[in-house]
Amino acid sequence: MGRLFNQMTRGKKKLLAVSALMVMGGLLLLPIFLSVTAVASGGGAPAGGPPADVVAAQKAGEEGEAEKVEMGRDIYYKTEGPAIGDGAPVTADNETFYPRYNFESRVLLWVANQQHLYYGSFVLAVPIFCMCIEFAGMVSKDKAMAKKYDQLAYDFIKISLTAYSLTAILGGILIFTFLTLYPAFFGYLSSIFRPVMHIYALTFVAESGVLYIYYYGWDKMREGVLKWVHLSMSVILNVIGTVLMFLANSWIAFMMSPAGVDEQGRYLGNIWHVIHTALWNPLNVHRILGNMAFGGGVVAAYAAYRFLSSKTDEERAHYDWMGYIAMSLGVAFLIPLPFAGYWLMREVYAYRQQMGITLMGGLLAWLFIIQATMIGILFLTTNYYLWQALGRMTGGERFQKYIKYLVFILVCGLLVFITPHTIVMTPAELKAMGGQQHPVLGNYGVMSAKNGGINAIIMTTIISFIWYQRGNRVPTVSWAKFGNIFMGCFFVIAQLNNIWLACYGYFIPANVRIGLSVPQVAGTLSCLFLMTPLNLAMLKNGRQLGPIRWGQIPPRSQYAIIMLATAFTWMMGLMGYIRSSVRLFWHVNEVMRDNSPWAYTHTIGFAANVISFNVLFFWISIMFVFWLGTLGAKKIPVPAQAGQPVPSPQPATGH
Amino acid sequence: MVELMGRAIGMGWPVLLMLVGLLLYFQVSISDPVKKKRASFQTLIGILCAFLALMAISNYTHNFEGESRLLPVSLVMITIMSFVMGLYFPNISALMKIGGFMFFVAAALSGYGNWLPQVEGGFPPPVVKLDFQSMSSQQLGDEGEKIIFGGIGQSKTQGAIGKGQCPLCHGFQQGFLSERAPNLYGIPDRAIERLKEPNYHMNNVAARTTEQKEAFPGSGTATNAQEYIAESHACPSCFVVTGFGVKGSNDGTSPMPKIHKPPISLTIGELAAVDTWMYTREGKEAPAYDVIATSYEKFIPEADRPAAGGEEEKGAGGNILADGSEPTDKLFMKAGCPACHTIPGIQDAVGKVGPLLMEGSNAPNRLKDPTYKGKAKSPKEYITESILNPSAYVVKDFPDNQMPKDFGVRLTGGALNKIVDYLAQLKEGQPLPPKE
Repeated sequence: MGRLFNQMTRGKKKLLAVSALMVMGGLLLLPIFLSVTAVASGGGAPAGGPPADVVAAQKAGEEGEAEKVEMGRDIYYKTEGPAIGDGAPVTADNETFYPRYNFESRVLLWVANQQHLYYGSFVLAVPIFCMCIEFAGMVSKDKAMAKKYDQLAYDFIKISLTAYSLTAILGGILIFTFLTLYPAFFGYLSSIFRPVMHIYALTFVAESGVLYIYYYGWDKMREGVLKWVHLSMSVILNVIGTVLMFLANSWIAFMMSPAGVDEQGRYLGNIWHVIHTALWNPLNVHRILGNMAFGGGVVAAYAAYRFLSSKTDEERAHYDWMGYIAMSLGVAFLIPLPFAGYWLMREVYAYRQQMGITLMGGLLAWLFIIQATMIGILFLTTNYYLWQALGRMTGGERFQKYIKYLVFILVCGLLVFITPHTIVMTPAELKAMGGQQHPVLGNYGVMSAKNGGINAIIMTTIISFIWYQRGNRVPTVSWAKFGNIFMGCFFVIAQLNNIWLACYGYFIPANVRIGLSVPQVAGTLSCLFLMTPLNLAMLKNGRQLGPIRWGQIPPRSQYAIIMLATAFTWMMGLMGYIRSSVRLFWHVNEVMRDNSPWAYTHTIGFAANVISFNVLFFWISIMFVFWLGTLGAKKIPVPAQAGQPVPSPQPATGH
Repeated sequence: MVELMGRAIGMGWPVLLMLVGLLLYFQVSISDPVKKKRASFQTLIGILCAFLALMAISNYTHNFEGESRLLPVSLVMITIMSFVMGLYFPNISALMKIGGFMFFVAAALSGYGNWLPQVEGGFPPPVVKLDFQSMSSQQLGDEGEKIIFGGIGQSKTQGAIGKGQCPLCHGFQQGFLSERAPNLYGIPDRAIERLKEPNYHMNNVAARTTEQKEAFPGSGTATNAQEYIAESHACPSCFVVTGFGVKGSNDGTSPMPKIHKPPISLTIGELAAVDTWMYTREGKEAPAYDVIATSYEKFIPEADRPAAGGEEEKGAGGNILADGSEPTDKLFMKAGCPACHTIPGIQDAVGKVGPLLMEGSNAPNRLKDPTYKGKAKSPKEYITESILNPSAYVVKDFPDNQMPKDFGVRLTGGALNKIVDYLAQLKEGQPLPPKE
């Protein structure tokens, strides 16, 4: 057989390999396809589709035997459907519903959930990066650059693969914890999602299979048609991963904004209603962007770790470049994240106004002050990294003297951004302060001013980025002077418009003031989407002042990357906590009440401590994973003399 | 600090002992004086770092349920430990410095979270069965104010909020800018005017363009002021005041939940109390209870009417004795402690069934008692344990199994902390601690 294979022509081998891959991919996807079609057609038990009782109830309903089947009204979609089962259990504070293990069950579940989420986000985000970078490598005309991109994509997926098995283990731990500590609650949720639970499992199997083929087939499929097949597999991988995440999101969206059930929580036979709740899509978009920003942060931190522990200039050059790319990707997805958050919050308000108020102006409002601070920190750190990165470019020094002005704008913007207007207080605190607004600070923290603060920060970040793009290049187009003046005027006008609107907000009623955010954001987005391409157009065929000296960047820049990664992780934990706590004493909002002894909302300090624990636990474990990864890495074949300039990064390891 | 160091040694002595053993081993096993010096120095640094880590862990475990504001201190200790190790152990330098920096960031953020004012969301208030029907207008109005604002006289406190959650969206004071929902000042007079508005369509539900045309099939529309108020509570989307609908619904859908449904679930009696307050606070005569109740019965079908003290009584909220928001005296009173214990400084706490609770003095002695078999390591832990598990240690001359054992599920975390804090400050010969 082996001899026969060797005798085959190269073309035939390729054909065989492609066919084998397609068969394998098809086999992995077939069960999912069959399950989905079975669910869609309302049959297919037991391998898929709704359970037999649902089908029977539906049939009975269709045959007009209304007197035998109780009909229920969907609490969200307001449609009628046959009510299945007993509905949400009414729990009581005892060991049957809430077993006790000498520790707060809620915190145990919180930790298990958060860890799974961190790893899940990471392993879902990295393949998206790989797909983009591999594609960039394939279409690049520069062979050396193409190879570098390919190597980078491989490095990314290698990190992700090590974390993948840990994700699966943590998923198992999560289910076990849920089942052990909240059996009635888990039982109810799994009864509602029963029609699609097996699809979730099959999707996970398919994700694993495709990931392994993608990773281990890298070398075998590095050229020609096979490379395109390989890239296609990354597309399939990401589609499966996204479906997996959407299914997982449907559980939490159901808990926040249930649909597809009646007031007693009885399933009404339409699984799509259960999945497609009011907050499902905003959560999906928010999570995709959040995962990407987080994944970028983790990979950048990995690169920073490798940079700081590098022994040669080649290694440093490679990991400096890798960190830069990963951080840029992370920040690129960080910028639209607030807009996705805005959409989510708008949908929350539309779904239940008091839920929105609990978040933004009630019990959880202080947590948003922390979030605002963290957003400010993230942008400040990004700017700091870009300024450090200017140092590795010949010509970058000409911008250094202006950085102090950017620092001034950033600090002013941050101080305005984090100043609260109305805050939640106890009656005693209210009395002590003489009202809900601070006598001095209360005058400052209105929404338009805060918007002005964050927009000033984002605009400054765009300026830093434009300077970075110009670091070692000078525009030589004939209209360069005009372009520079135009660009300068544009930024000044946008900033003045922003500040003017921020001040104008004090003189108009609050409901009108909210509308000012539109022109403020429009100014910032114009800077981003008009000025950045304009800058690139000006730099086309520009004069090079010197090469980018990859690797010759101060180590403190790497700590900036680590700061970004840690802050991303912390913010993710914080926002997850806020999203979950807003249900207050409901397991499933307004359907299944939480009657456990932990049905109260913790203090901010306690939450911050648990978030820190989660963040550090994740980083300690993933650093261990990184360290394990380095054990298998090959040595760098060509050592370089320390201190000599390195023109461009080279792949650190082969594969 | 000394206590913390003691606990750290108590917890991690095998590790420290092993490192000391290693130090001694290096003294005899390494002959090269330079290597010996380096190994000894690194081991000493290792001992110092291990001790710091143990102190950090001890502080974390000790204060996790209590003084959680001290937890970031642990992170700072680990930050120091990581940087020290990063300096003296070159092989793991990058890892330790990065780790140290991460701990520093986490410590800063955690510290920030603990520095901000601490707000704890208590359990939903316990349901007390009240006979609204037999109350006077004044009493009903007072109950209404409690439901809306959380207490009598709270209506003038900005930010005060009660079970009804109304002030989250509605303004109640004359001239107060109310952006999310209409200002309810003047509603007794304005209600009748609403019925005359062209888009209200009195007695003509079919003409309505709102999301919901009537509260339930056959309920019809309101025909008088009280019915209008009742309909607004029971079916907010039957008529939406211009400009206050959900964005994009063209005032066809109200953002307000049905007040008799979860999550607010006011009973008809409670709704009558709320309505009565809205009349009486403006000096207007409120309709009789029966009139108000009838108006609600018109818009809330019998199956949807929440029963007073129904579901909640089964849950934690109904079982909770105190949630920690009460003043100290009231908190002890609600928890029932004065019935059996003498507690210095607490009003009427002269019980003799249980021991005197001078716990600032008693608890340290009890921990040293050889017969003590509990798990507590500090006075506060001892007091907490005595409340949650009274049989862990029974004070001499007092019988076991006298004290209830379900305080763990009948007091919120906030209430328990407040009780423990107060008791821990009671010391013989010292002034009484301040009360809230």
